[in-house]
Amino acid sequence: MRPTNRGNLLVAALLVLSAIPMQDHAQEGPPDRRVEIVGERFSYTPSRIRVRPGTTVEFVLTSEDTYHGFFMADFNVNLMIPPLGKGEATVRITFAEAGEYVFECSRACGAGHNTMRGVVIVKE
Amino acid sequence: MVPFALRSLLLAGLLAVAIVSTHAQESSRPTGSVEERLSALQDKIIRLERQLGLASQHSPADGIEERLAQLEARIADLSARWEASLAAAPVAAQAAQTEAVSLPPAASAPATPQAAQISASPAPQVPPTEQMSTPPYAGYMEMHLNTARAEPSLLDFHRFVLLFGHSFSPRMKFWSELEIEHGFIEGGKASGEVAVEQAFLDFFLKPQLNFRTGILLAPVGILNERHEPPSFFGVERPFVDTVIIPSTWFDAGFGIHGDLGRGFSYKLYAMAPPDAAGFSAGEGIRGGRQHGLFSVFNSPGITGRVEYRGVPRLTLGSSFFSANTGFNFPNLDPRLSLLDFDARYRRGRAEFRGQFAQYWLSQTGDLNRTIELQTGINPNVAKSTLGYYLEAGYHLLPFTQTADVVPFFRYEKFNTQHRMASGFTALPQFDRSAYTLGLTYRPHPDIAIKADYQFLRNRSTVVPISNRFNMGVGWWF
Repeated sequence: MRPTNRGNLLVAALLVLSAIPMQDHAQEGPPDRRVEIVGERFSYTPSRIRVRPGTTVEFVLTSEDTYHGFFMADFNVNLMIPPLGKGEATVRITFAEAGEYVFECSRACGAGHNTMRGVVIVKE
Repeated sequence: MVPFALRSLLLAGLLAVAIVSTHAQESSRPTGSVEERLSALQDKIIRLERQLGLASQHSPADGIEERLAQLEARIADLSARWEASLAAAPVAAQAAQTEAVSLPPAASAPATPQAAQISASPAPQVPPTEQMSTPPYAGYMEMHLNTARAEPSLLDFHRFVLLFGHSFSPRMKFWSELEIEHGFIEGGKASGEVAVEQAFLDFFLKPQLNFRTGILLAPVGILNERHEPPSFFGVERPFVDTVIIPSTWFDAGFGIHGDLGRGFSYKLYAMAPPDAAGFSAGEGIRGGRQHGLFSVFNSPGITGRVEYRGVPRLTLGSSFFSANTGFNFPNLDPRLSLLDFDARYRRGRAEFRGQFAQYWLSQTGDLNRTIELQTGINPNVAKSTLGYYLEAGYHLLPFTQTADVVPFFRYEKFNTQHRMASGFTALPQFDRSAYTLGLTYRPHPDIAIKADYQFLRNRSTVVPISNRFNMGVGWWF
């Protein structure tokens, strides 16, 4: 490879790197679907959400009692849900591929913490 | 030492700032000769490394080829660090109010190559099993002051509970609850106790079918599985959750649990049964709990619960426990059958709870006679006990306030001598009711300062029962 080309390649690589923080532009615009989830010891309501592939879902998360977490390993999403009446956490996720995506509480919230789980079922 | 997650977050943040700050400078088309552009690139990378606190380990290179190779390596290194920091850093997520924050991944979580994404499909190259979420510990404590007429006032550090967990993977998790009751343990004397109230492994197979084994909480009633001090009103637990449902009711076992959809969930366990030799007139089956201590498992008890949460802020539940309890008697095997119905509902600032529990025990005539022969004391165990309570509380302050003040009232009826076997007479002092009027003040959602007064009544004209005043503080973390 000629030095000039490699130099341009390096510049291009750096520009690509610099573009990484700009990837969350899907936050803009209305979501395809808005799902309100209420967490409490030790459950989410609703705990099962069905969507079609390609759907962008905005999750609006509130708590009925204390702090809870909302963790989706498949998307590396990990939020803290504020306590009752202290606000909400929101996150948008585009489910491009079919599958079952588990979300769970990531803040140890009590004796039944392990059972505080839900699932997004992405299916045609 | 700065935790790994924090360091990664810092690294990610610094790199993002550095890249964004240099982005404007980079955005114009590079000009000048290759030599000049290489020098400019080299300078920028050095600046980035310095901003990130990375010592440059590269010796000056001569010639374009060498310099290019060096720059490639350094860019690759930066890219790798960027990817790693993204994987370890919390996802940028918007919080509608200031208290909604992103959580860092669990300290035990391994760095994965998956980049943080809000609006993207899952990265298929990342095995989900390598990601973890559960922080490893939590705990709650409560201290009580109990006073009653003609009895000494007692200040008791009632519970010191630590919970530990571990995620082997998203599908295999451990959870435990280690409790020290009454603060002080001393061998050979009446004192507190140390108990492993929970220690189980969960194998998450499907949302509707998961497997659990270890020391389990019996999934009976509202409070047995939901007993963190800030989560219930009153200094002490309801009497129904003490003498009818003997919380905290735990034992060794295994079972399945899951989410059936449409708001329904269930638990179904096989657990060590209670021991009829420990049953009594006043506290029902409470003294029969085996606590996972060499628990006899010849004939496992079957217990289960179904919950419905399909309507916002409403939870309806029903539980059962069925077991043969006579394993310590050669010719006797009383059958325990317990049933519970409960409900919780919040409407605005008002909260309501209700619970009904009853159990039936077979062969109680023979059981009482056998125990009397063995010990000389007739335990007068009832063939049926019954209890229920209704509770209402009202949050005086809007939920948006930091603090929470909730006066509450609870009426309980609990009779551990509801129905007796033929030839045995119900003891009226155990047909009781309680009116509890109290206040819970929460300066923080996880701290509860409580006070209540309990008007206690029984049907006995001989054995009095004293009212109580209780104060307590409990917290969760």
